[in-house]
Amino acid sequence: MAVSELVHPEGAIRSPARAVPDLRKWLAALVVAVLAVLPMLSGSFLLYSLSLCFANAIAVLSVSVLVRYGGEVSIGHSFFVALGAYTVAVMEKHLGLGLWISLPVALLMGFAAGLLFAVPSRRMSGIYLAVASMALALSLPELLIHMERWTGGFEGLYISRDLLPGVAKAGQRYYFALAALILVCLAMAHFRGSRQGMALLLARAHPRAAEAFGITRSWARISVFALSATLASLSGAVVAFASSTVSPNSFTLWSGIFYLVGSVVSLQGTSLLAALVGGGIITLVPQYLAGAGDYVPILYGSALLIVTLLANSGSGLRRLLPGKGA
Amino acid sequence: MSGLFALFQDLPTLLWSGLVSGCLYGLGALGLVMVFKSSRVVNFAHGNLAGLAAFLVYGFSSGVLLNLSWGSAVALSLGLTCLVGVLAYAVIAPLVFKSDLTSTIATLGIGLILQGTIQIVFGAEIVSLELPIPSFGFGVGGLRITAYDLTVLAVTILMIGSLFFVIERTKLGIAFRAVCSNPFASRVCGLNLRLVHLFSWVSGAVLGLVAALLIVPTTFLSSTTVASFMLTAFTAAVVGGFSSLPGAAVGGILVGVAMNLFSFYVSPEFMNTFLLGVIMLTLNFFPDGLLEKAVGGRV
Repeated sequence: MAVSELVHPEGAIRSPARAVPDLRKWLAALVVAVLAVLPMLSGSFLLYSLSLCFANAIAVLSVSVLVRYGGEVSIGHSFFVALGAYTVAVMEKHLGLGLWISLPVALLMGFAAGLLFAVPSRRMSGIYLAVASMALALSLPELLIHMERWTGGFEGLYISRDLLPGVAKAGQRYYFALAALILVCLAMAHFRGSRQGMALLLARAHPRAAEAFGITRSWARISVFALSATLASLSGAVVAFASSTVSPNSFTLWSGIFYLVGSVVSLQGTSLLAALVGGGIITLVPQYLAGAGDYVPILYGSALLIVTLLANSGSGLRRLLPGKGA
Repeated sequence: MSGLFALFQDLPTLLWSGLVSGCLYGLGALGLVMVFKSSRVVNFAHGNLAGLAAFLVYGFSSGVLLNLSWGSAVALSLGLTCLVGVLAYAVIAPLVFKSDLTSTIATLGIGLILQGTIQIVFGAEIVSLELPIPSFGFGVGGLRITAYDLTVLAVTILMIGSLFFVIERTKLGIAFRAVCSNPFASRVCGLNLRLVHLFSWVSGAVLGLVAALLIVPTTFLSSTTVASFMLTAFTAAVVGGFSSLPGAAVGGILVGVAMNLFSFYVSPEFMNTFLLGVIMLTLNFFPDGLLEKAVGGRV
């Protein structure tokens, strides 16, 4: 209990606004129910874009976890998403293994890569991580294109193996993406109240108090980043399976920035609804505004600015945004 | 023995051209560091603004927007770029004192808007933009020195010289140094923090414009080359310690030379990966920049 009381800024919000979370729980349940019966009613293109939405929602969530628990920004999460996606694709292409085996491997790869990436900047302020993550995102296409033997170069790779043989393809892609998203959100809700989650929040809010409990700042930063990278590479595995193809074009610096846009627009929420909003915006806007492609960066940039300005305007303007529950 | 000699035969040329392009990376990094030192904001829009500036010069001198002479096109673009820099600062001004990360995210938003503007006005085409300098060159001991090289060196020395003159000798410069070392105390003493921030943002924009104009003739200009240039400038800033102005200049030259050596001896295709490696190694082993010990820290 002592720890949770010290995690003042986020922790204090939980108890007084009891009625609001309840409402949200119902809303989330309703959304899940609607999404679960949707395949019986709608066409396959909508299902396809919704599965991409879910996958991107997980990626957005991974950035939100980094911002919320670590207080750090990354614009290079496209790297970890690509890592997960390519792990699934390469294992099928070269080893003939399906998702049952490649998914856990993808998660492990994401975790290891996150760990490796976070170590050099562990003692530095968060801006260094943001700069390094930009280098990460820019180096990714080079690596993918020039390791052609493994990654298929410009053209990328296809994924055709089923998760469950004999079940309709569109259906299993959709439900796999949905299940992954729901599981991640449940896990995050549990994590928020767990000892580890508290420890990380404490290290962010009160570094000195955390040190006294034996939680060093470097440890907290590295573990938050590794967690976030694992989630990102899960999202990549879902993208690969749901879209049945991976190519360097889907993992550029822009995708990394767009994940951050999604995260900011969803107010760094780790709930199902917040993740869906973030994932939805970054998936559906480019799809439905394909004719206005050049306006998308302006749209996203303005969204980023407006939300950041509103969220930080001290006064009544902030009431325009929904409350920031953890 | 002759193989070894052949290996190092190209070394002077590589070092020289690395030095020349390094000067430009240094100018780019100086803009980033000035903004960061005074307002604690990592300006992710820096590269996009520099790219927009170069595109404006192209647009004003080629007839796409206007048909001006090169000099007046540069003057007009300089004015517009400074204006955009001031506007950018005005937009994120409410966030500057909140936290490093919030304002950094906001600069990404500005960068996206600038990028979109470039794409809408100029499209995705690749354009070339030459400098109006005579093309001559001479050899010095196997080294070929061109008019372009000399222009870059002269402009860099001029820019850095005037920047240091302003910072070391003028009232504004003293205010800038005071705000960098202790914003709170400078505010107590009645300094206008916003004015100093604006000074650094505008200088950053000017430095970006100059660097972009000088670097475009060696490559080409397109709405996507901006990101790589920005990464190089960021790397130079990290190598220099991110809050040291001489560090940024020297870091730029080091990075320019190292990139040249890497692309010649190892592979030209993994440039960004190489820069990633440089950033990670620097952060791990020299968190305050390579010059920390040599120069004695922040200057």
